Amino acid sequence: MFSTSTQRHFWMFKDETDVSNARLGANLKYISARGKNMTVAERETHFLNASEEKSLIMSYEYQLRDFCRKFHPPMPRYVIGTALHYLKRFYVNNSVMDYPPKEILVTCVYLACKVEEFNVSMDQFVGNLKGDREKAATIILNNELLLMQQLDYQLTVHNPFRPLEGLMIDMKTRFPTFSDPERLRQGIDEFLEQVFYTDAILIYSPSQISLAAIIHSASTSKENVDEYITKILFSEDQKRLLNLIEAVKKIRVMVRNIQLPHRDTIKALEKKLILCCNPDNNSESPAFKKRMKQSFDDEESFEDGQYPSASSEQVRSMLLGLSEMG
Amino acid sequence: MDDYQTCPKCKTTKYRNPAMVLMVNACGHALCESCVELLFAKGSGACPECKCPLRRNNFRVQLFEDPAVDKEVDIRKRILKEFNKRQEDFPTLREYNDYLEEVETIIFNLVFDIDPTNTNKMIDNYKKENKEITQKNRNRQSQEEMELEELLENEKAQQSEKASLYVNAELEEKKQKHKAREKLIDELMFSDADAKSIVASHVQATAALAKEQPKAAAQAGSTVVKSSKFSSGIQIGLRGQHTNSFLPIPKQEDLPLYRYTAPVFDYDGPPPPTIEMLGKLNYFANIRAANVTERAGGYTEAMSCCRALQEAMGGLFYSPQSTHKTAVVNTIHSTQDTDDMETT
Repeated sequence: MFSTSTQRHFWMFKDETDVSNARLGANLKYISARGKNMTVAERETHFLNASEEKSLIMSYEYQLRDFCRKFHPPMPRYVIGTALHYLKRFYVNNSVMDYPPKEILVTCVYLACKVEEFNVSMDQFVGNLKGDREKAATIILNNELLLMQQLDYQLTVHNPFRPLEGLMIDMKTRFPTFSDPERLRQGIDEFLEQVFYTDAILIYSPSQISLAAIIHSASTSKENVDEYITKILFSEDQKRLLNLIEAVKKIRVMVRNIQLPHRDTIKALEKKLILCCNPDNNSESPAFKKRMKQSFDDEESFEDGQYPSASSEQVRSMLLGLSEMG
Repeated sequence: MDDYQTCPKCKTTKYRNPAMVLMVNACGHALCESCVELLFAKGSGACPECKCPLRRNNFRVQLFEDPAVDKEVDIRKRILKEFNKRQEDFPTLREYNDYLEEVETIIFNLVFDIDPTNTNKMIDNYKKENKEITQKNRNRQSQEEMELEELLENEKAQQSEKASLYVNAELEEKKQKHKAREKLIDELMFSDADAKSIVASHVQATAALAKEQPKAAAQAGSTVVKSSKFSSGIQIGLRGQHTNSFLPIPKQEDLPLYRYTAPVFDYDGPPPPTIEMLGKLNYFANIRAANVTERAGGYTEAMSCCRALQEAMGGLFYSPQSTHKTAVVNTIHSTQDTDDMETT
């Protein structure tokens, strides 16, 4: 469960500034590695900064959800939740310029299908994509190991959906004065969809998020579930009640403040991205194709490092970071 | 052993009759059975290939496809009866190896008919010098064979004893059951007591008997061991030096027994009801009931209800902490980098 999971022990942040700092760090690392010979002003114009990256990621999250909505066979929402988690986690540690988000996006969905035991063969999967299917298949398979490595191989994700069901059952059993909590379902589903575009999933536990969803949906229908929370859930722990109220408030604020970036800005950012992205990892670039061809040519002496992994610089600096912490 | 082997004499017959058996003679050539009979019916005894004189009893049934191999096996057996020294008889490894080489040379010479006179002289020399040692070794070999045979016999005897014991025990049981039944019938017929109480006391008696049976069987099973020692301590038979006695692993009596401790869960939230309490608290009214196929597989509504409640309650008390590895480090890095960017 959540309290003993790797999600809680390794992938949680204190608040939004904490998350943005992590993203900023990844962004700066990339810029300093690639833009050694540029001035500060040049760097700013050439590379994406952290907030631009954030808008890009948000647009790609929307794209992921669209892809999953049109997926055939119909994808259950916990798979989508897991895929969004993976995407978020990946881009907390890595810059958007370093690895093309489109490729990582499909790899996240594919990995999430495997992990959540939603059985889709590769052929079925790429059948949902447009364009060259074989190429897509090779891209996904090449990136899969990279994705897992960047997730530290911690693949179990706790989504808010099962806690939501639990809370529903509990409300129906122990709080019968509130008639038919099923009325709140639609509001809850919308809220949960929106919360995945915020960083709340990296800051709060999934049961807190689902409770926030219930409260939000209740307040929009002008209902009140406060009695349930104070009398029944937290009847013994008053100070933890305050903690929870605080958490729920913050989650609702985060969802309210979601701003879907404008389509034109996104297009401009994408153009900028093509210029400043890392050619080694971009499958369109000639450098990448040359490297792939090389790795096929000396397949006899296939070493471990031939997978597209984080560059040696990044690995070294990450290891340094770990030794500083410990 | 296929039909490709041809008898060199009659050539054709072997092809057509796979059941035909080839015999090998002392000079290493093969002849099919019928040809052998034919040859000795005529009275003469000459090998059709090499013309060396043969005797009827020198023909053995061929074991190997290549008759040359059979010939060598034969010669080897004969020689090793004479040259039967072992490694213990030689003071150094080198001398033992020299001896073995000598034996192999002799066999090789005999098989390929190289220098027969010299070889035979060597054999005779050896025989004269080592008569006693050869004899002693022969005796030792036979002793070992006897010991092995004895062990095997012992095992067999034990097994047959056990088997007979079990059979006896079963017969006894049957007899007793039969007796008990007759007793019950007699009592029912002739005594004046209540029928039910008679039957009840009878059932008790059989239960008590059943408990005693396995104990008796175990006791009987353990008394089969034959005596292996004389009263003075000397062991019977030739088993003095060679028996491997297997001691059982010593049992440690002092260690504490395993005690089950139930696992403790830290929910970090209000405690959810235990799976046993769910029914009483009427949770099942609000959950989809398991259909017949699901219940047959072992699924109950309690399982999914309990799991949903655990996940719902778990983590409700959680307050945000920074646990991600780069979260702490990157604050340091970002401040450093911003400093760098300002100075350049």
